[in-house]
Amino acid sequence: MGLKELENRSIYIIREVYAEFENPAILWSMGKDSTTALALCRKAFFDRIPFPVIHIDTGYKFRQMYEFRDRIAEEWGFDLIIARNEEAMKADVRPKDGKLECCTALKTEALMKCLDKHGFDALLLAIRRDEHGIRAKERVFSPRDSAFKWDYRDQPLEMWDQYQAQGQRQTEADETIHIHTRVHPILHWRELDIWEYIKREKNIPINPMYFANDGKRYRSLGCEPCTSPINSTAKTIEEIVEELRTTKIAERSGRAQDKEKTFMMQKLRALGYM
Amino acid sequence: MNVNVVLVGHVDHGKSTLIGRLLYDSESIRDERVEEIQTLVEEYKRRFEFAYFLDSFEDELKEERTIDTVSLMFKGKRNYYTITDVPGHKEFIKNMLTGASHADVAVLVVSAEEGVQEQTRRHMFLLKMLGITQVFVVVNKMDAVDYKKERFEAVKSQIRELLTSFDYRTEEMLFIPVSAIEGDNIYRGSEEMNWYAGRTLIAALDGVTLEGQEKTLRFVVQDVYEVDGAREVVGRVESGIVRKGDDVIFEPSGLKSKIERIDVFEGELRAAAAGDCIGLVIDGDVKRGDVCGAVENPPRVVEEFLGEAVLLDKKLKKGERIELRCGTAKVGCEIKEIMEKIDSETGAVMEKNPEEIKEHDAATIVFATEPLVVEKFVEIPELGRFVLVKKGKSIGAGVVLNA
Repeated sequence: MGLKELENRSIYIIREVYAEFENPAILWSMGKDSTTALALCRKAFFDRIPFPVIHIDTGYKFRQMYEFRDRIAEEWGFDLIIARNEEAMKADVRPKDGKLECCTALKTEALMKCLDKHGFDALLLAIRRDEHGIRAKERVFSPRDSAFKWDYRDQPLEMWDQYQAQGQRQTEADETIHIHTRVHPILHWRELDIWEYIKREKNIPINPMYFANDGKRYRSLGCEPCTSPINSTAKTIEEIVEELRTTKIAERSGRAQDKEKTFMMQKLRALGYM
Repeated sequence: MNVNVVLVGHVDHGKSTLIGRLLYDSESIRDERVEEIQTLVEEYKRRFEFAYFLDSFEDELKEERTIDTVSLMFKGKRNYYTITDVPGHKEFIKNMLTGASHADVAVLVVSAEEGVQEQTRRHMFLLKMLGITQVFVVVNKMDAVDYKKERFEAVKSQIRELLTSFDYRTEEMLFIPVSAIEGDNIYRGSEEMNWYAGRTLIAALDGVTLEGQEKTLRFVVQDVYEVDGAREVVGRVESGIVRKGDDVIFEPSGLKSKIERIDVFEGELRAAAAGDCIGLVIDGDVKRGDVCGAVENPPRVVEEFLGEAVLLDKKLKKGERIELRCGTAKVGCEIKEIMEKIDSETGAVMEKNPEEIKEHDAATIVFATEPLVVEKFVEIPELGRFVLVKKGKSIGAGVVLNA
C-alpha cells in the first residue's frame, strides 16, 4: 500500500471511532507508532484532537521520553491524561519479580483504573500487524469485556470497513454489560511504512533515542529495565529507512517481555495488554 | 503495485503451509521468527511446519489448524502483496469472510490427494457472492501423489466442474500443480514436474494487474465537524471523482449544493478520487449516512431491495427486525420476504419462501428499510454490499442484487 492509501484508511477509521462512540481516547506511548497515530488524528480533525490522550506511566520510562511527552503535549495542545497504578508502584512491583506480572500491574491494571475513572468506551491503540504474530490476528475494532479479556476465538465479523462498534453488549440472558472496544487505526502499516511516512511528513516529532549513538539505537521503546538498543549506525530518518529495507532482525527484539515464555504475547494480550 | 490476495480452500489442504513457503522463499521471514519457531517446535515436540509462521495462537498449534484469519505483507518479484490466510474449517466461516472481504484476487488451494471438499465448495460460492472472480487454482501436495500428471488432471477437471457450476469463467483460469512442503512451482519451478510448462504461483501473481473501471461519483458522509467557523462534511470518496464547483446531491437528505471547497489538513484540493478521505464545504445540512453523487447521476434511494446474504448467526426469521449497514448508513430493516434458501456449499436452492434461515445458509431476501442509498453490487460494489446487525453484533453480510 502506498503512503496515501495507508493514511486515508487510518483517517477513515479514526473518524468512524469519533462518530460511533461517545467517549473515546487514544493511548500514546511517545514511540514512533503512537506519535504517528496522533499526527493522523490531527489530520482527521483538521488540527485539534477532540478526545483525551492517555499516557500509561509505569515510572520506568526513560527520562528522554518524559521530556518528549511534555513538549509535544504543549505544542499540539491536546488533553493529556497520565495514568499510573500508584498502589502497585508503592508496592514496588518490579520487572525482575516477573515480567508478565509487572506488565500486567503497571500497564494493564493502570489502564483499567483509568478506564473506570473516565468511562472511556473506545481506546485507540497504535499496534501494527507486522509487529508480532499475535497482533496480526487483530481486528480493527476489537471488543474487550469489563475484565479486559480478549475473546480471540470469537472475534467479530469485520467486512468492507463495517466495524462493529460496541460500548455495551447484551448477554444471552439479555443483560447489558459494559465493555470497551480497542480500535487499531494503523494495524495495516508496516514498520518501514511508519518511517517512510515520518520522512515524508517532516513534522512528526521523533524521540532522539531512535537514532544511533555509539553504534546503538532503540528500535522500539518501552520501559527502561526491559528495553535494549540494537546495533545500528542509522543516525537520520533516511538512514533508518535504508536500514529497515535490508534488515532481518525483528522490530521488538529489544523488548524483553515478549520473550520470557513461549506465547507470552498471547498471554499478555489475553489479559488485556496492549 | 499492492495486490490483496486471499488463500481459500478446505481445512488441511495446505493454505498456511503454502503462505509460509512463499514468505520463506521470498526471504520475508525475519531470523528471529525462525529461531522462535525452532524453540517452539522443540518445546512442543513437533516437526517443523511452514504453517507455524502464520498460526501464532497457542491453540492453533495444539489443534493443528488455523482458527483466525491473518494478513501478512511481502514483496514478490514485481508486485507487493498483502496475503491473507483464512481458516478452512466450517466453524470459522465468519473469520474467512473477514479475511476475504478486502481481496483483489484469490488463490484456491486444493489437495491433490483429497480433491474438492466441503469448504472448497463453500469458499468458492462465498467468493463469487463477494465478487472476487480473479482466481488462481493450485493443486497442492503433488509430492504425496508422486508428482503424477494424471492425478493433477483429474483434480483439475473436478475443480473446473465446480467453478463452472458457480458461473466462474474457467477457460483462462490458471491451474498450477504445486508442493508447498517441497516448494515446487511456488517461488521456483519444479524438477519433479517437467510435464508442467506453465507459470509458478509467484509468476502468476506478479502478472496480476488491477484495472479500475470508470465509475460515477459516490461520497459517503461520516460526520460533520465545525472547523474555524466552517462546517466540514467529512467522509470518503467511494467511487468516481469529486471536483470543486461540482453540482451534487446528498441522499436520502435530498440536499442539492455546489461543492464550495474540498479540504484536507494540509489545505484545499481541486479534486479528490476514490479512497480519499476529505472534508467538503457545501451550502446546507447533511448527516452521517448520507451519500453524495452528481446531480445528473444521483444516488439511488430505496425503501426496499433484493439482496443475497449469508447468515453467520443462529437464525433469521421472516418478519424479523434487525439493523442494516451500508456505507456509513445504519438503518432499521425488516426481513420482508425470504425468496430462496441457498446451500452455501453447493449453491443449490434448498427451499422457496421459507420462514427462516439458519447459520451458514445463504438466501435471497427482500429487505424493507428506512430510506437508504444502495446501488446494485455489479454497478457500484462499494455501495452494493451490506452487513446485518442484531443487538450490536454483525451476524451476516450480503450484496444488492436489485434495487
